[in-house]
Amino acid sequence: MSDLFIVDDLTVTFPTSRGPVEVVKNLSFTVGRDDTLGIVGESGSGKSMTALAVLGLLPRGAQTSGSVRLDGTELLGKSERDLRAVRGNAISMVFQDPLSSLNPYYTVGLQISEMYQTHQGGSRRAAKQVAIEALERVGIPDPERRVDHYPHQFSGGQRQRVMIAMALCCSPSLLIADEPTTALDVTVQAQILELLAELQSTTGTGMIFITHDLAVISSIAQRVLVMREGDPVEYGTAEQVFSDPQHEYTRMLLDAVPRIDDEVPA
Amino acid sequence: MTRYVLGRLGSVVLILLAVCLFTYLIFFKLSPDPAVMICGKTCTPDRINSIRDVLGLNQPILTQFWEFLRGIFAGRQYGSVHCPAPCLGYSFQTNESVWSMITARLPVSITVAVGAAVLWLLAGVIGGLVSAVKQGTWWDRTAMALALGGVSIPNYVLALLLQYVLVVKLQVLPFPSAVPFADNPVLWFESYLMPWVVLAVGYACLYARLTRSNVIDTLSENYFRTARAKGLSGSLIMRRHALRPALTPITTIFGMDFAGLLGGALITETVFGLNGIGKMAADSIAKNDQPVIMAVTLLAAFFVVIGNVVVDLLYTALDPRVRVVSS
Ligand SMILES: Nc1ncnc2c1ncn2[C@@H]1O[C@H](COP(=O)(O)OP(=O)(O)OP(=O)(O)O)[C@@H](O)[C@H]1O
Ligand SMILES: [Mg+2]
Repeated sequence: MSDLFIVDDLTVTFPTSRGPVEVVKNLSFTVGRDDTLGIVGESGSGKSMTALAVLGLLPRGAQTSGSVRLDGTELLGKSERDLRAVRGNAISMVFQDPLSSLNPYYTVGLQISEMYQTHQGGSRRAAKQVAIEALERVGIPDPERRVDHYPHQFSGGQRQRVMIAMALCCSPSLLIADEPTTALDVTVQAQILELLAELQSTTGTGMIFITHDLAVISSIAQRVLVMREGDPVEYGTAEQVFSDPQHEYTRMLLDAVPRIDDEVPA
Repeated sequence: MTRYVLGRLGSVVLILLAVCLFTYLIFFKLSPDPAVMICGKTCTPDRINSIRDVLGLNQPILTQFWEFLRGIFAGRQYGSVHCPAPCLGYSFQTNESVWSMITARLPVSITVAVGAAVLWLLAGVIGGLVSAVKQGTWWDRTAMALALGGVSIPNYVLALLLQYVLVVKLQVLPFPSAVPFADNPVLWFESYLMPWVVLAVGYACLYARLTRSNVIDTLSENYFRTARAKGLSGSLIMRRHALRPALTPITTIFGMDFAGLLGGALITETVFGLNGIGKMAADSIAKNDQPVIMAVTLLAAFFVVIGNVVVDLLYTALDPRVRVVSS
C-alpha cells in the first residue's frame, strides 16, 4: 500500500531585503493512511510555513520547490482553481487560535455549511443538517440550537471543537492541525487531543499534528519530524525519536518536556 | 430588544432636552437684547418694553424656556398672534414663522446630503476596495495620494474652482439654484451636481482610505485565512469574509456623517447660494436672528442624536458580537 501523503525535498523561500531566505529547507516526510505525523520545533522553525505551503496558502512572494503528493497527485504548482478543490475537501486545516480563526459575523452553522456546500453541493438545508451532525460528532451539546450561535458564544475549547467539526465535515483524507491546543488551557488541551485521536481512528483520516510541545506528540503520533530553523533535524518513528534521539537538539527538546513556558532555549 | 430600544429613546429625549436648555440659555442670555434689535433705530423705552412683554422676555428665564418648549408641542401666543404647534417662534429679521422656514429649506439640504452621500459612498468604497485588492500597485499609490490631497482641499476652494471652470469658463453647467425636481429634472440634476461633488470629495477621500485600510486589515485576519483554507470560491471569500467585516464599521461612520449633513451643509450651501438649512444657519448667525439660530441648532442636534440611535440599532443588527442576547 502506498503512502497517503508524500512530501519530497520541500523548500520554501521568501525574498527579503537581504536576499532570499529559506524558511523551510529540503524537507521530506510521508504520512500513511490513518497515521499521525507529529512536527515539532520551536517558534519560527518553519512548521506553519510547511503546512501552508502544502495548501498553497503561503503569504504573497513566497516560493516553493520540491514535491507534495496526495494519493499520487502533485499539489505544488497546481492552479489556484485546482487547489481550491483540494482545500477543505481532501486536505483540511485546523489553526492555532480558534476565536480569531472563525469569522465573528457568521454563525458556526453557516461557516461549516458554506464549506460543505462548496465542495459537496446540495441544498442549504441539507448542509445545515451536516453542520449539526458535525457539531454533534465533536461533542457540542444541543447541536440543533448551537448551530445558530456565533463564535463568541462558545468557550475556547468548544470553538476549537467547532473548527475540528468544520475541518472534518467533508471527510478529508488528510487533516493538518497547526498547534490546535496551544491557545487552550491544559485540561481543555487534553480533551481536544483525545477528541482528535478518537475522530482520527474512527474516520481513518491521516493527520499532521504540529506543535512545539514534544509531550503532546508522544501521546498521539506514530512518526515524528523535528525541525529547527527550517531544517529537518530528526525524522523517525515516535519510539525511535523518544527513546533514542540522534540529535542534540531533539535531546534538548526532550529535556524541556514538562515545559516551562518562559524558558526559551538559546 | 424592545426594552433596549425604549431605553435608548428615553435617553434621546433627555439629551434633546438638555441641548434645548443649553442652547436656550446661551442664545437668550448671552447675546444682545432681542427687543432692542427688533425695535430698530427709532426706538423708545416704552416700545422696547412692550416688545419684551410680547416675547415674554420679562418673565424668569425658566418660565421662558418652558413657554418655548410648550410652543413646540402645543403652540403659543405672542400678544395677539397665535403661533400654532410646532411653534419655534418668528424670525426677528423677516417675521416669517421659523417652522415654515425650516420646512421650506429642509428638502434642499436633504437633496444635497443624499446626493453627496451616494457619490461619496460609491467613489470612496469602490476606490478603497480596488486599492486594497491592488495594494502596492501603481493604481493604489496614485489613488491614495489623490485621496490624501483631496481631504485637504477646503470645500469653498473646490466650490469656487468648479464654479469658475464649469459655469463661467466652459458654461457646461448652470449656476446652482434649488430647482424642484418636478419642475425640470435635468436642470435639477445639473443644479445640484456641483454641490454634490464639492461636498462628496472630502468624504470620498476619507472613505477610500478607511475602506482600503479596513479591507487590508481583514485580508490579514485569521478567519480570512481559514476561509481560504476551506476552499471557498473567490467571490464568496471576498463577499463574506472580507467585505462584510471591513464595511460594517464604515456603516457607523457613515450614519454619523450623514446625520450631521442633514442639519445643513453650511459652507457648500452658502457658496452655491442654495437656500438650505446650512445657509439659513449662516444667515441667522450673521444677523443674530435668535429664534432661527435656536431652531437650526436644535434641528442639527435632533438629527445627530437620532442618527446615533439609528446607527447603534443598525450596528447591533450587523455585528452579532454586540447583539443583545435574548435567552
Ligand atoms: N512573509 C514573510 N517573509 C519573510 N519571512 C517570513 C514571512 N513569514 C514568516 N517568515 C519566517 O518564516 C519562519 C518560519 O515561520 P513559521 O510561522 O513557519 O514558524 P513556526 O514554526 O510555525 O513558529 P510558531 O511555533 O511560532 O508558530 C520564521 O522565521 C519567520 O520569520
Ligand atoms: Mg506556527
